[in-house]
Amino acid sequence: MEQPNPKPALALRGIWKRFGAVTANASIDLEVHSGEVHIVLGENGAGKSTLMNIAFGHMQPDAGEIEIEGRPTRLTSPADAIARGIGMVHQHFALVPAFTVAENVLLGSRSARAGMLDRKGIVDEVSEVSARFGVPVDPSAVVRDLPVDERQRVEILKALHRDARILILDEPTALLGVRQIAVLLEIIDRLRDDGRAIVLVTHKLGEVMEIADRVSVIRRGRKQVELARGEFDQQVLAKAMTGQLIVDDISRSAGRDEPEVVLECRDLTVPEPSSGPPVRGLNLRVRAGEVLGIAGVEGNGQRALIDGLTGSARCEGAIRLNGEDIANALPRRLRRCGVSIIPEDRQGRGLVPDMTLAENLALVDLLAPPDDAPRFVSWRRVRAEAKELLEAFDVRPPDPDLPASALSGGNQQKVVLARELSRRPRLVVADNPSWGLDVGAIGYVHRRLVAARNDGAAIVLVSHDLDELMKLSDRIIVVYRGEISLESSRADVSLDDIGLAMAGARR
Amino acid sequence: MTLAAGLAVMAVVIGALGKNPLQAAGAVVDGSLGNSFGIGQTVQIWTILILAGLASAIPFSARLWNIGGQGQMYLGAMAAAGFGITLPASWPGAVLVPLILGASTAAGAGWGWLPAWIRNRYGASEIVTSLMLNFVAVLGAAYIIRDAWPQGFAQQTESVSDNARLPVLIDSLRADISIVLAVAAALGLWILMTRTRLGFAVRALGANRAAALLSGVSEGAVASAAFALGGAAAGLAGGVFVLGVHGALLNGFSAGLAFLGIAVALAARLNPLSVIPVAALFAILRVGSNNLQAGAGLSPATGDVLIAIFVIMLMVVGVIRFSYGELVDG
Ligand SMILES: Nc1ncnc2c1ncn2[C@@H]1O[C@H](COP(=O)(O)OP(=O)(O)OP(=O)(O)O)[C@@H](O)[C@H]1O
Ligand SMILES: [Mg+2]
Repeated sequence: MEQPNPKPALALRGIWKRFGAVTANASIDLEVHSGEVHIVLGENGAGKSTLMNIAFGHMQPDAGEIEIEGRPTRLTSPADAIARGIGMVHQHFALVPAFTVAENVLLGSRSARAGMLDRKGIVDEVSEVSARFGVPVDPSAVVRDLPVDERQRVEILKALHRDARILILDEPTALLGVRQIAVLLEIIDRLRDDGRAIVLVTHKLGEVMEIADRVSVIRRGRKQVELARGEFDQQVLAKAMTGQLIVDDISRSAGRDEPEVVLECRDLTVPEPSSGPPVRGLNLRVRAGEVLGIAGVEGNGQRALIDGLTGSARCEGAIRLNGEDIANALPRRLRRCGVSIIPEDRQGRGLVPDMTLAENLALVDLLAPPDDAPRFVSWRRVRAEAKELLEAFDVRPPDPDLPASALSGGNQQKVVLARELSRRPRLVVADNPSWGLDVGAIGYVHRRLVAARNDGAAIVLVSHDLDELMKLSDRIIVVYRGEISLESSRADVSLDDIGLAMAGARR
Repeated sequence: MTLAAGLAVMAVVIGALGKNPLQAAGAVVDGSLGNSFGIGQTVQIWTILILAGLASAIPFSARLWNIGGQGQMYLGAMAAAGFGITLPASWPGAVLVPLILGASTAAGAGWGWLPAWIRNRYGASEIVTSLMLNFVAVLGAAYIIRDAWPQGFAQQTESVSDNARLPVLIDSLRADISIVLAVAAALGLWILMTRTRLGFAVRALGANRAAALLSGVSEGAVASAAFALGGAAAGLAGGVFVLGVHGALLNGFSAGLAFLGIAVALAARLNPLSVIPVAALFAILRVGSNNLQAGAGLSPATGDVLIAIFVIMLMVVGVIRFSYGELVDG
């Protein structure tokens, strides 16, 4: 058998990393060869990002070695890693919010000519890269104003543009729609043919089946198995990840006959959303015990709708919650009326990363308390309640005193969900609530969302994931360029109909 | 850590001037703590720096920049002078002192609240407005000193009535009750920041504004409260100057201490409790450096230079910590 390059492009050997009592990596080995895609799988908090950050010089291992092209190497910083031809797409983006997309992409790259910034030049260059790889971005947009899915594309471009020989991608598809995912997988395929070595972290088993040459499964910091193409299928992988088979049962109670309308939007216009196009003249209703799924290609008005519903952008027209007009109400009032908000950007808007889990879980209760709430906080009670919630939502580790920033991405998401879904909401506005969750956690969150629905909450669910929408929604609407291009009960609609409506076809 | 780094840099600078850093340190300690006069002065400055530090620390915790500590101190001093001079001198101290200090605190709080109100109402940066309000306050004090209650041609007002002076605690040090008040203020604000909803809201707003807003914080109310609390601390310091230190409102009485309070707050990592020891350290440096010439043969200006270097060191470290989050992730 021909082996053109027996030395792996990147080899991690016996990597250990501890954070206090948590062992994030325990003697992990990982090799990736040129022309190979190696996928790393594992539950939330298994230690995947930690391992990737070590490979990129972001963190130093407590023990273990790194070899690049067979040469032992110490990576003391990301700059080190970049200099040795490693590129990385971070799970939580490492972008400069005040810079434009173009500036971010070129930041620290060799082609930025000594000290001189030629604005038009860099915009052109980034446009060209964006076109070449088929990853659409607006080079002159300021990153601060971008929704998270677009930030993810900027991260991807940044890594691609640097022309790295070894590419590490930590959940790059978590926020992308189906089409974007297909585009990215194609790019990865081409890069592999081009002889690059690629390490990819994902929770989506479909992607694994499509593109992996090898798969390593990590569980609680240890490597469980490594399988080559042909040795794995989705069942095997799911079992290796969690140690058990995932049951996916959702019990949906039959809706009452004529449940009251909880949320009603009439002629809703949000002229200046934080990103994407405005929505104009939107009408919609959500009843108690109903999940309204919102589908659409990213950037077709989902953001505008969510901004309007959550008091994050000015709107015109009427929004009524149980008959009360809440158009342009600040989040404070919405919270007091029983609105739960699960924002897409968990680190930016969902959590206070520097505060403890207890503080984060109590955030809404403490910041938007009822009028008669005591002025003093009983931290003992807050901690006790937090402990219960952390265990109920299987947040790992369930330690109320840890800062939120010490949790893995998926576990941070669980904290947001725990806070928002435990408040017995009347209305839930959920924006990609399963971003970054592992398969098991997604099942749990889906059950919690449906439980809230069964308890009579109205739920507005925006998701990139059509399967999720089809599974959870009672009704689905599709937005296209700020207008509704399809509205239907879930039972009467097919994925094809939705696909067409997402592309703008009207029924 | 930052303190250690700051002190190390000072040692290097002194070494570079060809003097023995240890000897200089000895001179500083000797000047500030070596005799009862020095100790008395150090305690006085310590008191003011605690309050000035709190004036910055509370708004900074909400990521609101109160550069107006000086103006708030002036308002407190003007209120103290006004009431101390005009209220009947026959009233007992037990009535006069709490009344006047209360007025100082309230005046400072009101002056502090103003930039927050302008920010909430018109969106103007609190940095600029609080700074500008300093000049207004200084002008107001000049009016009081020259026209309202002038003391002949001296650069000060008439003295406040004897009963309005702060009771002295320890005679030999001329230390009055103000240090107790300052420490109590630090404790009270620490409890407020850590144990109450308001304090939590201030910290949440500072740590992640977007998340705090979406969780229902009322930004206007919290910003106003943070600024008013800071202003109250500064106002109290102004009252202490008038009723304690000088017995009258002096031209330029604050001697840059309000601004030094910003450095105290940053070095204390905005923790009201840590403000107490940090303020003590700054007070020792400030008072003790007067002794550098006699004790270590350094020019008298060196003391100020050293404090300036120390402050810049702390600001650099402190400010980087502040903007780090903004730079790395939005
Ligand atoms: N800075 C830190 N301080 C303390 N603990 C940490 C820190 N970073 C990670 N951990 C812990 O290390 C473990 C592994 O985290 P890691 O981010 O590598 O998980 P992950 O596999 O990427 O999970 P996810 O799928 O949720 O992103 C977790 O238990 C996490 O809480
Ligand atoms: Mg991760």
